[in-house]
Amino acid sequence: MIEFSNVGLRYGNGPEILRDLSFSVEPGSFHFLTGPSGAGKTSLLRLLLLSLKPSRGTVTMFGEDVSNLSQDRLLQMRRHIGIVFQEFRLLDHLTTFENVALPLRVLGQPESEYRPNVTELLEWVGLGERMNALPSLLSGGEKQRAAIARAVIARPKVLLADEPTGNVDPDLSSRLVHLFAELNRTLGMTIILATHELPLLDKFNYPRMLLQKGELTIHD
Amino acid sequence: MIERVRALIPARKGAAPIVPEKSVAGRTLLLLITIMSFLSAVTLGGVVLVQKSAIAWSADVGREVTIQIRPVEGEVMDSNLRTAVSLAQSTPGVASARAITVEESQALLEPWLGAGLDLTAIEIPRLVVVQLADPADADIAGLERNLGAIKGASLDTHAAWRQQLNTMAGTIVVSGLLVLILIGAATVLAIVFATRGAMATNREIVDVLHYIGASNKFIAGEFQGRFLSIGLQGGLLGTVAAVLFFTLIGTAAGGMLSSEAGAQVGVLFGRFALGLAGIIGIAAVVPVIAALTAITSRVTVRRFLAETS
Repeated sequence: MIEFSNVGLRYGNGPEILRDLSFSVEPGSFHFLTGPSGAGKTSLLRLLLLSLKPSRGTVTMFGEDVSNLSQDRLLQMRRHIGIVFQEFRLLDHLTTFENVALPLRVLGQPESEYRPNVTELLEWVGLGERMNALPSLLSGGEKQRAAIARAVIARPKVLLADEPTGNVDPDLSSRLVHLFAELNRTLGMTIILATHELPLLDKFNYPRMLLQKGELTIHD
Repeated sequence: MIERVRALIPARKGAAPIVPEKSVAGRTLLLLITIMSFLSAVTLGGVVLVQKSAIAWSADVGREVTIQIRPVEGEVMDSNLRTAVSLAQSTPGVASARAITVEESQALLEPWLGAGLDLTAIEIPRLVVVQLADPADADIAGLERNLGAIKGASLDTHAAWRQQLNTMAGTIVVSGLLVLILIGAATVLAIVFATRGAMATNREIVDVLHYIGASNKFIAGEFQGRFLSIGLQGGLLGTVAAVLFFTLIGTAAGGMLSSEAGAQVGVLFGRFALGLAGIIGIAAVVPVIAALTAITSRVTVRRFLAETS
């Protein structure tokens, strides 16, 4: 599903942030992406999200080399990738329901069509009662569950999460990772979850992609 | 005030707009577009009024020519006047011809020479007013030729005056169109700045939309929707204000027309009635301004996204 071959990344004329990354991710797998702050986790996630192009090497996603894709094709591929951020990035003026429905609205679906799916998903992540609340009225955990729901509502093939537990307490962190695990198990979604919380890594027995000084090693 | 009027305009139903209404410098831009629409509508209305009046003046003047007979020694003025009237009446296309009496000539000269003047003591040129039935078919050249038989007679078709009038009206119309173009350019620039400001303010929304797979076209459409709404509201408010302005001016002029000064205004500008063409022109300001706003914002957003992506 995802294959990196000798991928390097540098910003402008600066030093290489990522060096010689070669790995593959199988469909339906779950990986933790870990490493110290500044190791390049977010940069790797941006490569996976197709919002950056590698300085060298080859990135293959869904069977296509992404380096020479047109803007339209990139956009189509990006729609197969969901993203969850540490800082939630919900739109403050939209309700929980409207935030979660946003990817379907972008795809041009009418509200009458997506309402049952969004409602069902919100109930599944435990936000059935908070559908009409604005993000400012949600707790950190609720915001992150809404962000996860928004990332998966369009059923992407790959779900990326950039420190999704960074702004919640340890107990809630564990419950959120359970939610990702459930999405992986029930929907067969390929998940790459970036975190530097070691207790979480120890609690869940998933392969780890360890980034250190721009180099990647995988520990099964 | 503007907010109260805006409340009367039906709001868009359905899902909340992705670009928040308050994040686009809405109130300031609405006021600016309202002012621009008002200026456009007033300029357009003014141009229509001037053109209508010029056409009316030109038509009135064109339906009349004047024969002037200068006193010539050895010639009998009254006889020459009768001949001139007779020649005019027998010319094809002439409706009527009438010699201006000495008393009427005296009244015409009174503003310059003062009252109580006895014109019988001075020999002054006399006039024959010739009304044309159809200026296009009247044989003016034939009349001018025939008048050659009367010593001291000449024909004034007011052509120079009409030419000057048409030139003046044309200048005003062209100036009005130039002002409209400048107003349009200023509006476009203001919308470009407002759109770029809105894009910068809503950068987070643009990023999120990109991350969830929104195309530049979709994002531009969302911003365009907001600006189209502001453009429509501003256009409508400005145009309604302009129509009220013309109605007020028309009413005020109508009140004045009973007085002598009012009559002068009436002669110069008619009764400030825009007519159907004027009203259609003013009403067209609304869709034109709205379309200008929407297209400008769309192009600006697409450029902004192309620069930043």
